[in-house]
Amino acid sequence: MTDARDDTADLDLCAREPIHIPGAIQPYGVLLVIDPGTLRVVQASANAAEKLGAPLEAGTSLPAALPALAEALSGDAALEAGADQQRIEAAGRHWQMTLHRSGAHLVAEFEAPPAAEDETMDRLFPRLRRFTETLTDDGDLARLTGHLARHVRALTGHDRALVYRFDAEWNGEVIAEDGNGRLPSYLGLRFPAGDIPAQARRLYRLSRLRMIPDIDYRPVPIMPAIDPPVDLSLATLRSVSPVHLEYMRNMGTAASMSVSILVAGELWGLVACHSARPHAVSLNIRNACDFAVQAAAARIEARERSAGDALRLRLGEVLGRLLGRMAAASDWRRGLVEAGPELLAQVGASGAAIVAEGSYHAVGDAPEEAGVRAIVAWLEARGEGDLYATPALATLLPEAASFAAVASGLLAIRISELHPSWLLWFRPEVVRTVSWGGDPHKTVAEHGRIHPRASFAAWQEQVRLTALPWRPAEITAAQDLRAAIVGIVLRKAEELAALTQELQRSNKELEAFSYSVSHDLRAPFRHIVGYSQLLRERAPELDEKCRHYLDSIADAALSAGRLVDDLLAFSQLGRTHVASTDVDMNKLVAEVKHTLAFTLEQRAIDWRIDPLPPAWGDPNLLRQVWLNLVENAVKYTRPRNPARIEVTGWVEGDETCYRVRDNGVGFDMAYVDKLFGVFQRLQRAEDFEGTGIGLALARRILDRHHGRITAQGRLDEGAEFMFALPRNPTRKPTGKPTKP
Amino acid sequence: MSELRPILLVEDSPRDLELTLAALEKCQLANDIVVARDGEEALDYLYLRGPFAGRAEGDPTVVLLDLKLPKIDGLEVLQKVKGDPALRHVPVVMLTSSREEQDLVRSYELGVNAFVVKPVQFSEFFKAIQDLGVFWALLNEPPPRYRLR
Repeated sequence: MTDARDDTADLDLCAREPIHIPGAIQPYGVLLVIDPGTLRVVQASANAAEKLGAPLEAGTSLPAALPALAEALSGDAALEAGADQQRIEAAGRHWQMTLHRSGAHLVAEFEAPPAAEDETMDRLFPRLRRFTETLTDDGDLARLTGHLARHVRALTGHDRALVYRFDAEWNGEVIAEDGNGRLPSYLGLRFPAGDIPAQARRLYRLSRLRMIPDIDYRPVPIMPAIDPPVDLSLATLRSVSPVHLEYMRNMGTAASMSVSILVAGELWGLVACHSARPHAVSLNIRNACDFAVQAAAARIEARERSAGDALRLRLGEVLGRLLGRMAAASDWRRGLVEAGPELLAQVGASGAAIVAEGSYHAVGDAPEEAGVRAIVAWLEARGEGDLYATPALATLLPEAASFAAVASGLLAIRISELHPSWLLWFRPEVVRTVSWGGDPHKTVAEHGRIHPRASFAAWQEQVRLTALPWRPAEITAAQDLRAAIVGIVLRKAEELAALTQELQRSNKELEAFSYSVSHDLRAPFRHIVGYSQLLRERAPELDEKCRHYLDSIADAALSAGRLVDDLLAFSQLGRTHVASTDVDMNKLVAEVKHTLAFTLEQRAIDWRIDPLPPAWGDPNLLRQVWLNLVENAVKYTRPRNPARIEVTGWVEGDETCYRVRDNGVGFDMAYVDKLFGVFQRLQRAEDFEGTGIGLALARRILDRHHGRITAQGRLDEGAEFMFALPRNPTRKPTGKPTKP
Repeated sequence: MSELRPILLVEDSPRDLELTLAALEKCQLANDIVVARDGEEALDYLYLRGPFAGRAEGDPTVVLLDLKLPKIDGLEVLQKVKGDPALRHVPVVMLTSSREEQDLVRSYELGVNAFVVKPVQFSEFFKAIQDLGVFWALLNEPPPRYRLR
């Protein structure tokens, strides 16, 4: 770029340039800033006195200097109006005055009326009516905007009219064009967001139409400069930025006019008209253009709304089906995963993943779990809120480039407020070729100054690592799903809390029940046994049969009583606290032998009890284990004479082991698995009494100690039971293994 | 020979009472057996009040105390006895159907002298009662004034 003009601005100046307060106007009109209270001039463009034929410097009283204007302003309607247009007579001719408020001031702009007869509103109206009538039939955006471009150019007479649409990043794309061939075609080209900076877009929203009839105009200053300056955002005559003029010059245009297309209050696009030579458009024609563009904008809005409604309706149906699946499943995550295609359809994704601390579910085309977890970690680190969407994840998270093929687009919703738990949707990379109007990257020139690019020839760029953007209705659908999930999660949590409470209550009831059973159910059995024994002693004259009956009554009650005791002991074990301490096992075995003394009275038993190593456990529970094992050994050796019972113990690794071996009736190893089950008996009840709970209880006690119990047996030869307990974890292992 | 002090049996269940008395009878103890049917009666006896206001002076040689009793339960009676310096020396044996741990722990906390879960097997029950009776009535060393042998 070799432009030698001094008014080129650097990038910083451009971004900060206060273009709404330029301090100057273009010379095709006159501007006055008026105090509406005093009707005195506050500021005037330097050409005011000459054009309007009256002394109009600051402080001038309008009723004296320009009575027609003072009269026009004194009407209430004019003062109330946000913007109004009137005819004013001044300096012997008509002027079209456009009036608007700016803060406390009135801004009046004057333009000479059109010379041409066909530019009167009477002539323009039928053309506008025809245009709007054709619009009503048009549902197709390309046809509608093409029609708009042709109509606007027909009205203004510029060399070329473009319909320009913004994308989500404010890049513009030329979607329709009409021209006479004097200027090159830009149809299909994109223009980067920087071509129309944010502050310019703000003005385009506030003031829909602006015109530069000749870029080589000499700005007319507004006198005097005042502080604070008056906001001229809505002034049509406003002088434009030198950077913009340079831009136009580089484009090969000498005149321009643009009309904003506002859809739902937002800047949707522009109709931009250009001419190779200076070209002015009268206020009437400009008004007609504005009208035509807003009529088209209304059509676009209706069209987008109905398309959005249709999409929302479809997504709403999908959400309904998803909710059904979630509510039906016991785990809502499973419900979502099983409804995979619908989960993807909800936002138009090709893959999804549901990630929580302990769980991971994926549907469709998703990155590997590690990649998905990396995304979640990144979202958490960024402190993202409930929803996050990007069409180009890899441009923000570099490691995502490795799985860009499946996950360039990311739409994420946070499911839990408490845990890093997310539902992520993915869209694949779509490699697109974009035609730019000139290379948008070549903006920085020599000496660090920035100039608008000089070439607007089509410049092709391949866009990678980017997916199709998420549409607003899809993002809304994701939000709806999030609300539904949070609702369901909350409900499930409440159900769980209620269940826990219920369990605690029934646990308490069970304890009360056990207590009551232990007191009240035991007593009657004891009484039956007691009375039948007393009766037996008191009536020695009873015959054999009667004594047998009495014994049977006593035996039955006795075994029922023992059953109650054993069941209670077994059920208590689950809620008994295991109070581990160092236990002298020699003492426990001696106690157990003493307990059984009554049973042992008439037995000849050859005992061999070795010194036993101390154990780490709850002495009361371990005593129960010994009691069951020794009692069994005594019981099942009853047919032996002499019976041999051997008790040994040793330390092995981190365990202490104990063994009870006998030469009793033994058991078939085929049934060894049944040995430790509740109510499992391998012997007939009439041969050996018992409730079938003893070994189950022993195993449960060892489970509670994180120990184990095993059995070896041979039918008619004997049995051996070995149990092992973890050693005291607080004490270093001492001594050598003493396995016998 | 000074008079033998009685055994106080506190039992509400008529069957348990009858069976316990039968067991004690078999021990052929010379001691009288005084029966209280609830905790209140037991305390009346110990404090010589109500129906026992006029009884002969002296504390029982042992109290056989059922755990679950009407009005004032066994644990409360135990607490009262062991909390009173004048009665603390009287041996108390808790008799109960319960194997519930908290009963046992609570009884020992309150200073019970023995805790016997009534066995279902009558012969064992007899043996337990007899042992208790004989132990506390004959072997237990009373305070010097009442030394038996």
